[in-house]
Amino acid sequence: MTADRWVAAALFTVAALVPAVVRDSFILDSLILILLWGALSSAWNVAGGYAGQVSLGHAAFFGVGAYAAALTSARYHHSPWLGLLVGVVLSLVAGGAIGFLSNRLKGPYFALSTIAFAEVLKIVASRWRGFTSGSEGVPVPFRPGFWTLGLGHVQWVYLALVVAILYYLLQVYLERSRIGYQLAGVREDEDAAEALGIDSRRRKVQAVMLSAALTSVCGSLWAQYVGFVDPIHVFSIDLSVRFALNTIIGGIGTALGPFLGSILITSLETYLRATFSGMKAGFGGIYLIIYGVVLILVVRWAPEGLTGIAARFRVRRADAPA
Amino acid sequence: MDPAARLGSAQIDVVAQLAVSTVLLGGIYALIAIGLTLIFGIMRVVNFAHGEFLMLGMYLAFFAFTLKSIDPWVMLPVALVIFFAVGLLVYVLVMKGVIHASHNVQIFTTVGLSTALQNIALVLWSGDYQLFRPWHASVVLRLGATAFNLSQVVAFAVAVLMTAALFAFMKFAHTGRVMRATAQDRDAATLMGIDTDRVYRLTFAIGIACVGTAGVLVSPLYAAYPQAGLQFVTLAYVVVVLGGLGDMVGALAGSLIVAGVEVGGSYVFGTAWKEVLYFILFIAVLVFRPAGLFGQRGAESLGV
Repeated sequence: MTADRWVAAALFTVAALVPAVVRDSFILDSLILILLWGALSSAWNVAGGYAGQVSLGHAAFFGVGAYAAALTSARYHHSPWLGLLVGVVLSLVAGGAIGFLSNRLKGPYFALSTIAFAEVLKIVASRWRGFTSGSEGVPVPFRPGFWTLGLGHVQWVYLALVVAILYYLLQVYLERSRIGYQLAGVREDEDAAEALGIDSRRRKVQAVMLSAALTSVCGSLWAQYVGFVDPIHVFSIDLSVRFALNTIIGGIGTALGPFLGSILITSLETYLRATFSGMKAGFGGIYLIIYGVVLILVVRWAPEGLTGIAARFRVRRADAPA
Repeated sequence: MDPAARLGSAQIDVVAQLAVSTVLLGGIYALIAIGLTLIFGIMRVVNFAHGEFLMLGMYLAFFAFTLKSIDPWVMLPVALVIFFAVGLLVYVLVMKGVIHASHNVQIFTTVGLSTALQNIALVLWSGDYQLFRPWHASVVLRLGATAFNLSQVVAFAVAVLMTAALFAFMKFAHTGRVMRATAQDRDAATLMGIDTDRVYRLTFAIGIACVGTAGVLVSPLYAAYPQAGLQFVTLAYVVVVLGGLGDMVGALAGSLIVAGVEVGGSYVFGTAWKEVLYFILFIAVLVFRPAGLFGQRGAESLGV
């Protein structure tokens, strides 16, 4: 096992042990958010990192999942798990559509088309009052039980942990499987990949669809955990940027990166929010200023992120004479 | 009923009013979009923070008016200078280092800049909507059956003037020619002894000066708030993609098309759904003619 795998194993073990020791709901809440953000960023990483399809509209799939679960339980009184499945199906369709339509687009063009796509869904969700309650949002009823996803903090930790580990393993699979190498080939040089007989278009669409479905699952869980869904937040570009931000800071295209980024950014957010919450209303924005600046610095000076810095450090140490 | 029979004089008035509104709005969109398309055409960078400079321009006008009671019209030349300087500063601090970097690095640099600027505004000036009414915002002009206010007309006139000046500069001035040469072929320009770094610096400063001034121009018409740039800049993306990223004439045409869709769409479908229209138009153009309505085919897949 490489160093990254050990770190991941250690992190997940710690996460699993925390609820046994700590009962403080603030800490458990932070842990759940770290795991969910980590999973969401991993989902983004599948398209943005492994396949090189850098999207700034992944909030679209998050929103679809969130609304699917919230409306299924609040409006139709079915299990949010059913809503989660509906969200996955819808996101597969949406991801397939956007992936197929934007297939030829590269770099900033692809990013722009994904932004536009998320904006369309945001407008539809805020204007279609009869179905989505518009910009008022949908409160999700809390009904205790696993089937209704009305869980306590400890149960949420384990649910989020299971999702996080599954997403992590999926990324590990993408790193070492045939399809993963094909995606890397398409990402690095599409023409060369085509010349080797890889159907690059199909691979890219598949990656976006998978990424969309994974994002949607977390959106559904998030809606049930937070208990409220509104279009301005769940479809916002800030959210899409956040998925990318965690991944880039942690290390884009690595399985561990999204989780490292999520730990760093989410704890920073929680800490600064707690510190400045007593002050003027706008001060909540301070952590976002820091995000922005950190993002600029990281892509400029350490584009391979935390995992990359660690790897560089290890190489240097290995090179040094014993 | 036969549609032709419905076209009484009242309907013709509506058409005239829609047309005038389209042109007025289009002029302002053009000034916002022209900076974006200039920066893309020459630097090959999509500035995702473009809207934030518009927002800063709106706040500049707002504070000049409420604190010092300076009219936004007086602020125009001041804003031009300030935002030119801001553009230079941002170029040197942020953009210079990533100009030769990959798309992803460039995208996330400007996205990070956008996030930082938006939230600096939020922390400093809160998230409240700030609107002020200088005297000219309530002067209504009438021309035939159409009506519009003075702020709108002047904003349009100044926007057109600035756009025309920029066109002339790019076409006739030596520096403009140097900038176009750099846009056409970076390496050849360097070989001809052009200092491309200076060109990029100037380009970015001009682009930011345009959009910052546009912010001052629209300030009597729209409220300033930290995310105010977002609504305009998404429009500007639509405009520049329609016209072909980097194509200045295309940006003008794109502005009019988007303004037309917006004005016509709000008349037919109501203001609530107009945005869906131009985003669908946007996606359609990206999918079917990604190089823009008038652009060279294939530019998008070169990833330029």
